[in-house]
Amino acid sequence: MNRDQHKAFGRTEADAMNDLRLGAARKRLAESQGQEDAIDAVREIVANFLGSEELGLFRVDRRSSALRAFWSFGIDLEGYDLLQALGDAGLERVMRGECHVELAAGEHAGEMGRARAFVPIRVGGQTIAILAILRLLPQKLDFDGADMELFKLFSDEAAKPLFGPGAFGPDGPGTNSDSQPVTEGPGIRA
Amino acid sequence: MTKKILVVDDSKTALMMEREILERRTTYQCVTASDGREAVEKAQQERPDLVLMDVVMPHMNGFEACKMMRQQASTREIPIVLVTTRGEEAYMEAGFQSGCNDYITKPIDSAELIALLQSYLGE
Repeated sequence: MNRDQHKAFGRTEADAMNDLRLGAARKRLAESQGQEDAIDAVREIVANFLGSEELGLFRVDRRSSALRAFWSFGIDLEGYDLLQALGDAGLERVMRGECHVELAAGEHAGEMGRARAFVPIRVGGQTIAILAILRLLPQKLDFDGADMELFKLFSDEAAKPLFGPGAFGPDGPGTNSDSQPVTEGPGIRA
Repeated sequence: MTKKILVVDDSKTALMMEREILERRTTYQCVTASDGREAVEKAQQERPDLVLMDVVMPHMNGFEACKMMRQQASTREIPIVLVTTRGEEAYMEAGFQSGCNDYITKPIDSAELIALLQSYLGE
């Protein structure tokens, strides 16, 4: 096998793996039963496919546009300032429906240089929640192109399993009785 | 003869993914369990050629299940590969102390996983 064939084989392998990952994530989300299981699905997909065990979910209040911590895993979101973490430009981007991804700035960059991603959870052209992936596992160095496809899947397909049909109602998010905050202790499960 | 792998994970997502990789990319047969206790039982019933097992699980974790399999004559010789999000040396050492043969960290790379399995089971 020459170098070009090796490259093509590597790409095919990576593409196949990515397809498997997306298919499994989509199936897991679609088959989740109720909000708690959907949250589990998100946690499992992020841990197993993206390589992070520090994540949080924030709801966007439709009326006030305020952001409130809804659920977290592996990190205590009390006092976490999402607005500060995102910055004005990041917040604008996420509310517009784009992911705000910060790639790692190198191994000596410290806390500020670590990879993070803020993924809008969308329905009806609106961002109703933000999934924050706040730290990668040590063996996962950075986000890559395949991860962006998973972010898009979350963005397009996670709203209904997470927040139920109420997320689609005329009054939008916040009107569904199934949308009560869930608190999960940090780092309890992996 | 088709080789059989017992895949153990409490995460439905991980089980789904590992099963997909094995079924689409290898000829190995796949059986599953969702915690350590069930893994020990299934290992005795199914006599797999290899166990691919998560570490952090309810009821009985992967280390404990690994130790139990090593104590029982029927499962003592089965190769066990632990799968975990934690790759620190001390954690891996604890895995080897429990009797595992190998370690692979999440997120799983399919090529790495298949190569590892083939090193124990052949192609």
